[in-house]
Amino acid sequence: MLSTVHTAFPLNHQKPYSAHLCSLSSRGIIANTSLLLTPTRPRSSPSLCAALPTDASSAAAATVREESEEGAALPSLLRQGPLPKHVAIIMDGSSRWARARGMPSSFGHEAGHRALKKIVELSGRWGVRALTVYAFSSENWTRPEAEVDFLMMLFESVLKGSLGDFMKDEISVSIIGDITELPQSLQKLAKEVVDMTKKNTKLDVLVAISYSGRRELKRACQNIAQKVKHGLLAPEDITESHIEQELETNHIEFPHPDLLIRTSGELRVSNFLLWQLAYTELFFTKTYWPDFGEEDYVEALHSFQSRQRRFGQRLN
Amino acid sequence: MRLGMKIPSMLKDNDIDVMDVADELTGVLTPPLQKFQSSTILKLILGFCWYLLHLVVSIVHMASCLNQLLLSCIISTGLLSKYQNLQLDNLKCLAIVVDSEEARDTTKIKQLLCWLSSINIQHITLYDMQGVLKKAIANDLKSLTSMTVRPCSDDDAQTISSQFKMDKMTIEILSFSDGKEGIGKAASFLCSKYIRGDFVSCNRSEPTFEESEVTSALKAIGYGGPEPELLLVYGPARCHLGFPAWRLRYTEIVHMGSLRSMNYGAVVKAIYDFSKKHQNYGK
Repeated sequence: MLSTVHTAFPLNHQKPYSAHLCSLSSRGIIANTSLLLTPTRPRSSPSLCAALPTDASSAAAATVREESEEGAALPSLLRQGPLPKHVAIIMDGSSRWARARGMPSSFGHEAGHRALKKIVELSGRWGVRALTVYAFSSENWTRPEAEVDFLMMLFESVLKGSLGDFMKDEISVSIIGDITELPQSLQKLAKEVVDMTKKNTKLDVLVAISYSGRRELKRACQNIAQKVKHGLLAPEDITESHIEQELETNHIEFPHPDLLIRTSGELRVSNFLLWQLAYTELFFTKTYWPDFGEEDYVEALHSFQSRQRRFGQRLN
Repeated sequence: MRLGMKIPSMLKDNDIDVMDVADELTGVLTPPLQKFQSSTILKLILGFCWYLLHLVVSIVHMASCLNQLLLSCIISTGLLSKYQNLQLDNLKCLAIVVDSEEARDTTKIKQLLCWLSSINIQHITLYDMQGVLKKAIANDLKSLTSMTVRPCSDDDAQTISSQFKMDKMTIEILSFSDGKEGIGKAASFLCSKYIRGDFVSCNRSEPTFEESEVTSALKAIGYGGPEPELLLVYGPARCHLGFPAWRLRYTEIVHMGSLRSMNYGAVVKAIYDFSKKHQNYGK
């Protein structure tokens, strides 16, 4: 569900890779991670599996076996209740983490990348079905040019290096946000990785890059206006469900996060998934993102399970 | 001689055999016994350590809760001067989200409004998902203030949001219908304007809107309002329960616990902590 608005990427961002390395080695630059876009991929529901003939029931049995294996891999603290199907994470604090150690920001973001890799692995192992991470916001473009350029290069190297892991771990990778603002080489690589991973079904990983929650809603309105223009929809018939269908998270099985985790102690959502977070449990931790490991993840998931038992009825 | 020598040796051999067997039996039986005893002791020790750890964590948690409660009480008494003169330059609008079940306790809501008025908060947005506050509070506030109702004459007067102007404070009451439904209606408004050709973008091949146009559309249909800098959540769930999404971009969200256990000190502390925050806005 990429935007059709074409934004020319500024020429001054097309610098040689070596020049960027030289400029960045003299500064502390932030690093981060990113992922890619995938088309809609329907998945069968449990009720549908029950109604299927016997050859399909073996597939359902395989699913049950997989789920039992996932349950066996769960820490004991998390076996007492249901896990969230969709976890969203605002990965905050990598720069501060590095500064606290007297290191440049790039050091923090390298560590942040390792933390993300670990969380993705744990999510797949424990049966989380979707993971959305906030890697780069639309506001981040206002950061120093050299820093942004370095981040773009880092995204490319991470994408190239992680493709094997995505295929091995059956991870489908998507990007939400305006990828037309990214360098051409990164756009091309991103689309390739998206295409190659689109058939993976174990875990949907959505990375928000150049993302803004308000812009997503604005584009939903634009897409609806397009339908109105072509006579497919009357303006008076537009409801919130039409907005829902046009959101970038709509292509996955569980589009609404059950749990949002934000690290580094900040208590806001920062223009992230504004529509989708209406009924999401919010978990704020003071831990900086590079330090967020298995124990912190278990704590967040366990906190969700505890709150889930107390929470009343929700509107769908 | 050889026989005589042999018998003692045989006896010795038998003794040795018996000794050997006994030694072997001891060697076979003793380790499991020792192992059993060792493992039992180890399990007891580990179990004791586990319960001790639980006890320590529980004590720390209890101490933390008591500390917060004590601090809230001290703040309420006014003994700490730094909580008396709050810097509200960055707090133009404060939002309160209340669980609909707890919102039925209107006494608590009014008490909360009085506290916030004493702190000189200029704009308060009250929200609960099911519109309980609109029904319960709106009538009471009408008698106290000059009422300004959003111009939506086609809507049920019990369910539309209402703004109430008090001496120094404006109170806005919202519900679920002001959230996602509002954005849906804004989309309808924008599309109607687009069809009529009211936008510059109508001349382009594809419709494009700016965020400012969405904001204007929300305002035009009566779903506009300020973005709260701080949002306090009262209730069991730590989520904002569908508060208007368009207005939550950079809002600080603080969970305050149950409305039943609300206290003045906790409200002041939340506002004080907010006043010390610094936002980079992504830069």
